[in-house]
Amino acid sequence: MKPFILTVLLYGWSLLALAGPAILVENAWVREAPPSAQMMSAYMTLKNTGSDDVVLVDVESPAFRMVMLHKSEVVDGIARMSHQDQLLIPAGGSVELKPGSFHLMMPAPGERLQSGDRVEFDLIFADGSTTRIQADVRKKP
Amino acid sequence: MKIHIIPMLLATVLLSACGQPELPQLKQGTLLPSAKAVSDFQLTDHNGKPFSRENLRGKWSFAFFGYTHCPDVCPTSLSMLAQVMKKLEKDSTLDTLPQVIFVSVDPERDTPELMAKFVPYFHPDFIGVTGDPQPLLLLTRQLGIMYGKAPGDNADNYLVDHSASIILFDPDGNFLALFGMPHDPDLIAQEFIAIKNYYEATR
Repeated sequence: MKPFILTVLLYGWSLLALAGPAILVENAWVREAPPSAQMMSAYMTLKNTGSDDVVLVDVESPAFRMVMLHKSEVVDGIARMSHQDQLLIPAGGSVELKPGSFHLMMPAPGERLQSGDRVEFDLIFADGSTTRIQADVRKKP
Repeated sequence: MKIHIIPMLLATVLLSACGQPELPQLKQGTLLPSAKAVSDFQLTDHNGKPFSRENLRGKWSFAFFGYTHCPDVCPTSLSMLAQVMKKLEKDSTLDTLPQVIFVSVDPERDTPELMAKFVPYFHPDFIGVTGDPQPLLLLTRQLGIMYGKAPGDNADNYLVDHSASIILFDPDGNFLALFGMPHDPDLIAQEFIAIKNYYEATR
């Protein structure tokens, strides 16, 4: 029984990290990319459990030489991506980074990441605080 | 109440059996009023072989336009098309599966070699198509597909804005329908069958 509970706790922690200023990060994942892909993307849900707005200003990762905050949009049938300087997570609200919307874009590392791998990201907030989170690499539709 | 519905249903079935085939009711797709012939174009598939209008004949084709440096929309759409294929593979009424073509709108960076590693990752039968800017423009203009470079985070890493619609070619190689965003694999598979049945019934 005990090892089971411990497993659940450990697994739970990996998916759910309590971040800097009252930000809860859930379901962080990196999309597995084809072998020749130059770019990769990552997604997660950022929940603000506090009573103040929180601003994400930067993301870094030991696994990637660069992490950019982007947004995909389809406007009049045209898909376009734009760089975002920051991301506001309203007090009591949440922002979902998901396919076709906000996402992190990273240049693919020399050694290909595959489903089952796990990478870390540091979320840097406007108040200067940083939170390290873990994301699973997944092959996903 | 039921007693009235059944004769009504019967009447509807009989009426539609006698008259012209009904236009399929589509939620996701748009059927062109008449299929549009496409003038010939010369591009290259991911195996380095020529890819022209001839390659659109004899089977149905879905085409999506994008680029391999695209991390979000293009992988999402290609995975979605792989799901459409999975659904169609289970359909025993289909004797031939449609082909799926991913056409690069970034011919500067997307070589056939790069496409060969990228496209079959999503489905082994998917075909990557790239080539010179001129024939690409010739094809895309006929389909209403637009694209253009957008500045990225640095000069080498430009982005490409592009139409996100999926084009459906009939087995004559004509542009027959398109599917706009957001794409739903269930709807696209269902509506493909409806369009195919309508096409066959009106020939």
